[in-house]
Amino acid sequence: MTVRDDRRPTSSGQGASKRHVHTTLVIGAGFIGLGTAIKLREAGIEDLVILERADRVGGTWRDATYPGAACDIPSQLYSFSFAKNPGWSRAYSPSAEILAHIEELAERFDLVKDIRFNTAVTKLAFDKRAAHWEVTAGRKKFYARTVVVASGPLSDASLPNIAGLEDFEGKKVLSARWDNDYDFTGKNVAVIGTGASAVQIIPELVKVAGSVKVFQRTPGWVMPRVDVETPDAVKQVFEKLPVVQQAARSALFFAHEAAATGLVWNTPITTLIQQAGKLHIRMTVKDKWLRRQLTPDFRAGCKRMLMSSDYYPALQADNCKLITWPIAKITPAGLQTCDALQHEVDAIVFATGYDVHLEGPPYPITGLDGQSLQEEWSGHPEAYKSASAHGYPNLFFTCGPNSGPGHNSLLVYAQGQIEYAVSGIRAIVEQDLRWIDVKKDVQDDYNVSMQKRLRSTTWMSGCSSWYLTKDGYNASMYPGFATQYLRQMQDFQIRDYEVSSNAAQRLWNIPRDLTAV
Amino acid sequence: MATKNSMDMDEMLAKVKGRQWALADIDWDAPGVETISEEFRPKLKAFMADLCWIENVGARGFAAMAKKAPTPTIAEIYRYFHAEEQRHANAELALLKRWGMLEDGEIPEPNVNIRMAIEWLDTYADDMPLSVLGTVIPMLEVALDGALLKFLLEEVHDPVCHQVFEKINNDESRHIAVDFEVLDMIGHATARKLAIDFVSNVATPALIIGALMYLPLLNRIRNNIVEMGLEPEKLYRAMERFEKLGNRGEFTHRVPLFQVIRQHAKMVVNPKHPYHLLANSMVTLSEYYPKALFRPIPTWFKELTYEPVTRSVKKGMNAA
Repeated sequence: MTVRDDRRPTSSGQGASKRHVHTTLVIGAGFIGLGTAIKLREAGIEDLVILERADRVGGTWRDATYPGAACDIPSQLYSFSFAKNPGWSRAYSPSAEILAHIEELAERFDLVKDIRFNTAVTKLAFDKRAAHWEVTAGRKKFYARTVVVASGPLSDASLPNIAGLEDFEGKKVLSARWDNDYDFTGKNVAVIGTGASAVQIIPELVKVAGSVKVFQRTPGWVMPRVDVETPDAVKQVFEKLPVVQQAARSALFFAHEAAATGLVWNTPITTLIQQAGKLHIRMTVKDKWLRRQLTPDFRAGCKRMLMSSDYYPALQADNCKLITWPIAKITPAGLQTCDALQHEVDAIVFATGYDVHLEGPPYPITGLDGQSLQEEWSGHPEAYKSASAHGYPNLFFTCGPNSGPGHNSLLVYAQGQIEYAVSGIRAIVEQDLRWIDVKKDVQDDYNVSMQKRLRSTTWMSGCSSWYLTKDGYNASMYPGFATQYLRQMQDFQIRDYEVSSNAAQRLWNIPRDLTAV
Repeated sequence: MATKNSMDMDEMLAKVKGRQWALADIDWDAPGVETISEEFRPKLKAFMADLCWIENVGARGFAAMAKKAPTPTIAEIYRYFHAEEQRHANAELALLKRWGMLEDGEIPEPNVNIRMAIEWLDTYADDMPLSVLGTVIPMLEVALDGALLKFLLEEVHDPVCHQVFEKINNDESRHIAVDFEVLDMIGHATARKLAIDFVSNVATPALIIGALMYLPLLNRIRNNIVEMGLEPEKLYRAMERFEKLGNRGEFTHRVPLFQVIRQHAKMVVNPKHPYHLLANSMVTLSEYYPKALFRPIPTWFKELTYEPVTRSVKKGMNAA
């Protein structure tokens, strides 16, 4: 594999004298970063650089190595339509296979040469005079006319804030940063959290650990996941007849689109989905009280849907127990719950999810007039079509504000974002523009409509989730079908942007910062 | 809410979170066991067993209320109160164990009226509106806190018992404060809603069965403690407190069920009231209730334990 960094990172244009300004700089060499690079190349943008903080590609899927880690969207939908994988081994791919696919993409499209590994972005600032972005990564500096933020929504994770956390003398394991050297065999383990990672980890832990105590705060809706192997014959057909694979993909896509009528909007279909969830509990959980403990009291879709057929059986295994008492604190030997009991364990698994950066990427970004994106986005992040933010020209977000799917594959949405960014970058390059900056009123109108449309969604039906900011504002999810989202992303309109052009500047020979029209 | 001194529920939740304690905080082997006289032991065991199960029943009540809470903060407070009632039951079991009244792994048998209460709770509690649960639970808590616990502390001189009940009392005072605040919120609803809520629920089989379960349970406990030497005045004062705390709220008096329970409490505490003829015959009758008709004891009822610390997973009786 050459998808790892074998070279010393070259400092592209250190020092003002030999400053090289790339056409595009992409932040992150995960699924979306690489997808962006592929499409940029296809559009003829060759001078690009990808900054990656780790020493290999893969992003979230490189980091998600916990036992049972897998995608909860069918494999066929979990790839870009322009770079499909006919060889998925199962209906839902395990994380290692997704990582292998991402690595294969990097090789197939010869992207590694453009990746600067071990390069974590620390600052992004727009240089108005020079009309380019200055990207700081520690002591290194990079320059680019355009930047695509592809650092992903789920790239950071940290231990939760629970009293006594520091005192625990056993092993602490974070689901998103799994320690594969720690052997759970025969150990007494506590798992905190019952979200998307937990429902995958728990069935695997129950197989090897001595005991597993699962500490739950709020149960989620769990739907059965029929995870079957893909027969070799099917793989061969997909390989030889891509059109068949595309048909399978389309069928799955539209099946998920149909689910939006219940998962995105709060409707009678939502109630039907809940009935299916309850039926799943009824059929797989014997004990009435356990069923009550596992039955959510929020609308299906309001929090992320969980997909698992082995979670409920695992909870009922002889060595596993669900505990719903609140955790009072963590003690040196384990945990104390509010029913006054102490649970001594060898290890605590924190399946407490990711640090979702609703307030913008975790590095400072300063815009056209030195304003700070983090400040502007603290509380209520806003962008236009989730991709552009007024005051931050030539900067394209992926997984930006109000871009999250609640019912379909994230990659389908990401593909739309990539297309949008590529259209914008092409416009800048082909029309020789200094910058394009989305108009304030266009962005405002878009967000008013977003918030209006969000009102009737399940996400706003009263539960608290990581989709919402502290004051209950939804800046993360897109209120619509994937089809609608893709249509808006395929429709890049330069008239939505204020444009500063090189031609105008040359023609009138006016100072550079007055060229915005 | 427009009450005069409306409580800051976020502050209350923070306080609740900050005042957690564990069985392991108490030295269960400290001296003091000898203070319990031989002749008092069987009565005390029966009393503590009832107390412990009533706490557990109360815990289940809070679990049901958490689903009906008017705000997410109050729901979270109820989630804690649910656990705290369980904690009290666990602590009371640990006292029984300390006094040598339980064999290893033994859990006292719930009496028939407790069994009925469990069955009712398990079947109907989650469907009861907040106005019903929110009125009955404060009544139980005031009775527990005001009469039973005080009586116990007068009769039992074991310092560990006092230490435990000081903690329990502190918890209960927060429970009662929130209970009556919520009762007041319930009373703040329109008269029309209160009337509809009341009429539509009084007529339900669930509430009628609930009353049939509640009356003998209360009388059995009352009889037991009177037999043990509790002066009925104490119980009377506790019931008065229910009324007093209720009247302190601006809107509580508007809750019809509050008025019903208040009137009922007056009958319960008056030993000469003809009501006891009815209630006591219900106690006697319930003794003849065929045990075979009980459904299996729900698993939430089996979660009690006197063991402060657990390592691996144990299921069923005495589990943690």
